Amino acid sequence: MNAIRQIVVVTMIGLRALPQRLGASLVVVVGMAGVVAVTVSILSLSTGFMRTIHNSGRADRVIVMSHNAQYEFGSSITRENALAIADAPGLKLATDGKPIASAEALTSIVVTKKSNGLDFNMVLRGLGPEGLALRPEIRLISGRMYRPATHELIAGKSAQSEFEGLDVGNKVSLPDGDWTVTGNFETGGSGLESEMLGDSETLLSGMRANAFKSMTVMLDRPGDFNRFKAALSGNPALLVDAIPESEYLANQAKQLNGFLTVVAYLVGGIMGLGALFGALNTLYSAVSTRSVEIATLRVFGFGAAAILISVLAEALLLSLLGAAIGAGVAWCAFNGNLHAAGSLVFRLTVTPALMGEGIGLACGLGMVGGLLPAVRAARVPVAVALRA
Amino acid sequence: MPSLYLLISRNRSCGPNDPPGGRVKFLPLLWSGLWRKPTRTALTLLSIVVAFVLFGILSGIDAGFEHALSTSRLDRLFTDSRFGAPMNISYAEQIARVPGVALVAPRRGLYGYYQDPKNGMGVICIDERFFSLRPEIIITKAQLATLRATRTGALVDVYLKNKYGWKIGDKIPLQTETPQVDGNKTWTFDVVGIVDDANYPGQAGWFFGNYEYLDEASATGKGTIDRFLVRIKDPDRAALIGRQIDKLFASSAAPTRTSSEKSRSQAGLQFIGDVRLFTHAIVGAVFFMLLFVTGNTILQSIRERVPEFAVLKTSGFTDNAVLWLVIAEAVLLCLMAAVIGLALAKVAIPITRPAIEDFVFLLQTGWADVLRGFGLALVVAVLSSLYPAWRVRRLSIVEALSRH
Repeated sequence: MNAIRQIVVVTMIGLRALPQRLGASLVVVVGMAGVVAVTVSILSLSTGFMRTIHNSGRADRVIVMSHNAQYEFGSSITRENALAIADAPGLKLATDGKPIASAEALTSIVVTKKSNGLDFNMVLRGLGPEGLALRPEIRLISGRMYRPATHELIAGKSAQSEFEGLDVGNKVSLPDGDWTVTGNFETGGSGLESEMLGDSETLLSGMRANAFKSMTVMLDRPGDFNRFKAALSGNPALLVDAIPESEYLANQAKQLNGFLTVVAYLVGGIMGLGALFGALNTLYSAVSTRSVEIATLRVFGFGAAAILISVLAEALLLSLLGAAIGAGVAWCAFNGNLHAAGSLVFRLTVTPALMGEGIGLACGLGMVGGLLPAVRAARVPVAVALRA
Repeated sequence: MPSLYLLISRNRSCGPNDPPGGRVKFLPLLWSGLWRKPTRTALTLLSIVVAFVLFGILSGIDAGFEHALSTSRLDRLFTDSRFGAPMNISYAEQIARVPGVALVAPRRGLYGYYQDPKNGMGVICIDERFFSLRPEIIITKAQLATLRATRTGALVDVYLKNKYGWKIGDKIPLQTETPQVDGNKTWTFDVVGIVDDANYPGQAGWFFGNYEYLDEASATGKGTIDRFLVRIKDPDRAALIGRQIDKLFASSAAPTRTSSEKSRSQAGLQFIGDVRLFTHAIVGAVFFMLLFVTGNTILQSIRERVPEFAVLKTSGFTDNAVLWLVIAEAVLLCLMAAVIGLALAKVAIPITRPAIEDFVFLLQTGWADVLRGFGLALVVAVLSSLYPAWRVRRLSIVEALSRH
């Protein structure tokens, strides 16, 4: 008999007897299902969160803030600075010949969450005249665009669906009176959908402020970043940092993402360890109940390797079954669920890659859990086992 | 099975009039039954230990969440600038006149970093009133007096002291975006005392300076405040008083937004609350898995021990006694695992803390969790051993012995 046929035959014999060891085998399946479901669910939180962040960032957009400012609200860009930054080389020109650069004013508005009545701060962002050219991803889904020099704003799709009072026609209270929501927009799932947008000059005067918070520009090509950055640092009148938008957003997200990743791997790892012990237990007992059968097979001339591989195959198969159930549960229960971190709304995302990761984890655990029992099975002393 | 027979025969010598069975020492019998197959028992024990480590750590998150909410007070309001415009310090007197307000403490923050932009630092610049509003800060009268007597003085807490190795007498330069009158943006503070936060011992990160220093030395924002802390007499009127305060400044240059610390925390922790739903689901899933693992082990074990149980019954053990024997074995196993697992979690939590630096307040340990853990161990033990125990109870001696 050739080796592969031996393996197939022995494995099939083992699997046919599985129903007799149903309870014990269920331990492996349930264990792996639990590990995979939990790990994948927690990671789906951070995947969804990071996807929203990545959707927001473009490599050819650069955000400019005052030197060492860690976030936009901690930054200040004067009108003179804004003019100098828009003059720097490497910027893309709009159809009207002006560089695509938007000096932006920011304020936070208190909004009430529909689901629990709690108050959160939401960003109202004042865009410069080129602000919409800078963000071609903005698409109106209802109402109309805000007009500059009026008390008008548009609210993002997520902002409008999760928080009260952001439908077309609603009023938002600012220091210089009420602003009207004239439209709602979407951007294809970026963080901007959790913000409100208006005109920067109108917002500045409404805030009785004189300086912008940040400036975002669009480069001709992403490769122009160094040239642009060098021009800014070469200007002694400017004390600013330029960061590609994607990098800035990733930095902002690091904290929360780090927390979720630690939780996912910590919890997943611990549960994995538990499932490993469970699998070891089950397979040891499977090998011990089958010892007569295994010894008989050895007498018939089946090799030790075939026995070893058949036990591993059984471990792998049970793990795979459990992992598939776990990944399926995670997908059904969580994929697409809306979640909000503060006012940033994102969707839990169970990607095929994530499910693959979970299944891979379970297979790894199954292999490790199967190995020792498989070695024991291969070493069953024929004479002793048959005498028993 | 030698141990079992040994136990029974050894105890036979006790005396002819003792009731049979009762003479067998229960605990050694339990112990030998449990470790009949050491590998299997050890592996099962380890699975349960792992579950309890997880339970312990996730309970830590739970405890941290509850702690953050329970230490946030409903009678402590924060009045912030609604749109970011600086508020005038004179607001304090106006707020103090609102009926129901007991005490107002103004503060202004100075934000910057120490040595590296990654070491962000917020100096809370205050006067005496602040500490009456935050009684959780452990500070002596002498410390406060020294701070107030030293213009550039600073009180830092144990967390910062440990993190940066600061001690009394150190000069701490902070890089900020706030220029002093002479244009210098580096502010230097003298550490005059080490304080701590009773709610978060060694974890809080407080850095206090004198309001007068910031106000007099800074080139901009003279006489401004970025937050008023307000103590009210009746927590039930928090929302009402908050609205009254905001009404005072509604048409001023700097409108305010006032709400209780509690409602701020609820909003701030909402996302973590969602994560907590996950952790509860996880604990549920883990213990569901555990029922399978333990139940399966016990079933296997009693299947192998059918003749032994028959012998026990023959030697006078009642049906109920063997039922309890099986349940007790499971309870012993689960309790041992719970003790080991919860102890490991207690060790693991401080190790895990640095990995989630900014959420560190979320991992607290309490003894209530330990009690809950033991309760859970009992539940798992009883649920998983009930069916096997019932089978052993129904075991007929003749049948059991004739099969072997």
